[in-house]
Amino acid sequence: MIELRNVTKSFGENTILRDISLKIPPGQTTAIIGPSGTGKSVTLKHIVGLLRPDSGQVLCFGTDMATAREAELYKVRKRFGMLFQDGALFDSMSVGDNVSFPLVHHAPEMTAKQRREKVEEKLELVGLPGIFDRPTSSLSGGQRKRVGLARAIVTEPEVILFDEPNSGLDPITSDAIDALISEMKEALGITFIVISHDIVGTINVADHIAMLYGGDLVAFKPTQEFVRLDHPIVRKFLQRNLVLPEGPDDVARLPSLE
Amino acid sequence: MLNTLATIGRFGKFSGGIARRMTQRPVFYREVIAQLWTTTIRCVLPVIAVTFPFGMVMALQGLEIFRIFGAERMLSSLISIATLRELSPVLASVLVAAQGGSSCAASLGAMRIKEELDATEVMAIDSLKYHVVPRVIAMTIACPLLNIAGSIAGVAGGYFTAVYLKGESGGIFLAELWAFMGPMDVYGGLIKTTLFGLTIGLISCYHGFRASGGAAGVGKAVNDTVVHGVVAFITLNYFLTSALFGSVAP
Amino acid sequence: MRAISTALAGIGQYGMWVRDFCKAVVVHGPPKGQTLAEAFRIGIKSLPILIVIAAFVGTNLALQGYNAFKPLGGQRLVGMFVSLAGVRELAPIIAAAMIAAKAGTEMASQIGVMKIREQVDALDVMAVNPLAYLVAPRMIGILLMLPALTIIAIFVMLAAAYTVSVYQLGLAGHEFIRFATESIEPIDFLYGAIKAMFFGLIICTISCYYGFNCGKGPEGVGQATNRAVVTSSVVCIVLNYFVSELLYGGSL
Repeated sequence: MIELRNVTKSFGENTILRDISLKIPPGQTTAIIGPSGTGKSVTLKHIVGLLRPDSGQVLCFGTDMATAREAELYKVRKRFGMLFQDGALFDSMSVGDNVSFPLVHHAPEMTAKQRREKVEEKLELVGLPGIFDRPTSSLSGGQRKRVGLARAIVTEPEVILFDEPNSGLDPITSDAIDALISEMKEALGITFIVISHDIVGTINVADHIAMLYGGDLVAFKPTQEFVRLDHPIVRKFLQRNLVLPEGPDDVARLPSLE
Repeated sequence: MLNTLATIGRFGKFSGGIARRMTQRPVFYREVIAQLWTTTIRCVLPVIAVTFPFGMVMALQGLEIFRIFGAERMLSSLISIATLRELSPVLASVLVAAQGGSSCAASLGAMRIKEELDATEVMAIDSLKYHVVPRVIAMTIACPLLNIAGSIAGVAGGYFTAVYLKGESGGIFLAELWAFMGPMDVYGGLIKTTLFGLTIGLISCYHGFRASGGAAGVGKAVNDTVVHGVVAFITLNYFLTSALFGSVAP
Repeated sequence: MRAISTALAGIGQYGMWVRDFCKAVVVHGPPKGQTLAEAFRIGIKSLPILIVIAAFVGTNLALQGYNAFKPLGGQRLVGMFVSLAGVRELAPIIAAAMIAAKAGTEMASQIGVMKIREQVDALDVMAVNPLAYLVAPRMIGILLMLPALTIIAIFVMLAAAYTVSVYQLGLAGHEFIRFATESIEPIDFLYGAIKAMFFGLIICTISCYYGFNCGKGPEGVGQATNRAVVTSSVVCIVLNYFVSELLYGGSL
């Protein structure tokens, strides 16, 4: 139900996505990996309609996000939950108010008590029980991600998007977040799309892996096949494990496909 | 209340430190020139964009009144005096606070947040002397310069409205321009704006230098600078005007 | 030449933003319950500074008016001068300038910070229109508060001018009041309020526009705040002439 068809996107002279076609398998966890600057976050933003492609279609539940008007976009977005890189929580509100935010706006039939129950339930699920009234500014990086995740799942969406869930975390907290994502996967059984540059975590969590490199979709396979893939770029990626090039210049220094 | 006193105390200490450093070597001349250039360039257009319309409005409202008494020829002296004595210094100062002060606070604030000021210190260079003093000096000099530009623009605005839009005589306008003006009218404005340039330089650098709390801290520094700067100016203006233009009735 | 085309492009972008904002407000409406609180907060926070500024503008109007009219023997007309200049031009500008300085910078920097930390995107993704949610309450708050602030500015200004005139300049109090009240009509208050609200619209849209288009990092926020205050002040004063021409030109 989520599919990119021939999506091309350039920023100025840089072509970030070149004719990308990708079908996200429903109910499973798909990871999109690749060096920084190769369009992973851009892809995610296309799926949710924050960016529109120069050409191609972005189909979500039958709506083309590339050409949809605002009202349609909003309708589709209610079926998504998204975890932003730094959580993107509202600093002026408490943890509880942050997590209840989507409920307040999209489930007006719920009473405050019902909302609170739901929020507490989700906070418990992400491993942070009892912090409903805490001010957001007092949270650590790992906690912000958890709260962000709680907010993403509070409306019980059909798809959850993760924008680099491990970024900015120390190795121990990073592992904890990976574990959390696995648990969520088991508990919810819905579609996850994870953007990451952390190979090890990705292999443990994902059912399918798509790799972007140089604007192209280099490979898209179920995880077990992906790790055995005899493809120069993929091999290099997996062998070098966590050591990834940082920007477009470094990407250019990797051996080319031909 | 106690907080305000503490802030004023800290600000005083800060200013004292700056004053001391202004006369110490090394003086970073290049930085001063660079800051002076940037500040003046950034502010000159807004100052003119503000004083010219005010001159226009003065002419508009002034003519409405003067025409009743048949006293149109007095318009230009009213405009020139009002502009030089009060309008131009006020507008130039407020805009220097808003534009020069806030960009100073913003750039210093960002440097503080990104630890660039710390880096300067670690390289054994006095960050106050290198980053702050030039900015303060630049604003002290820029403000009166901009006042001059503003005065010219204000009178020009009055001329434009009176002569081109309302059909008054250009010759009479220019002739009567200096009718009631004295040297104090010119100097007064310059004194006011020099003092104020110094004040806003200190205020904006104070807030920028002490910014904290990430990007929001920078925004707050700018906010505080503009608010405090305007309040400081308007209070100073009252006392300066009283002192300069006399207040005691015969 | 390039500066002009950049400026025009900026105005065009601003225009499109305003259009998007109007659409958002019409379609979504502001979030309920927040508007009055917002209005109150803006008003109360701005009041002390407004009073200080209005007072000292009043004092200087009196001082300069006295000095200007004295050579003509017209120093007793100070009351008339102060009320005309004050009510028609200065009070609305003061109220507007103070809103730009306090509320404008606040809006630009708050929205700017939210923008760089992806909170605006988060709103969008959660299907809540950021323009309606963030801007509309502030706008309504400002529009509600400005007429009140203008009226307060007028009275503070007159009071301060009176004080200076009588106690510092030695003029007759009753004369001041007589000339002051004779020169203004009730409709001047209305015009003042209209002007102030018009300025409020400009300040709010410009400040929020800069907030939404904030560049990256702390510098972006600082720049956005900076531009918000300067651009909105300058635009207000430039447009002031045209508004005055409209309201007062050839009216007497």
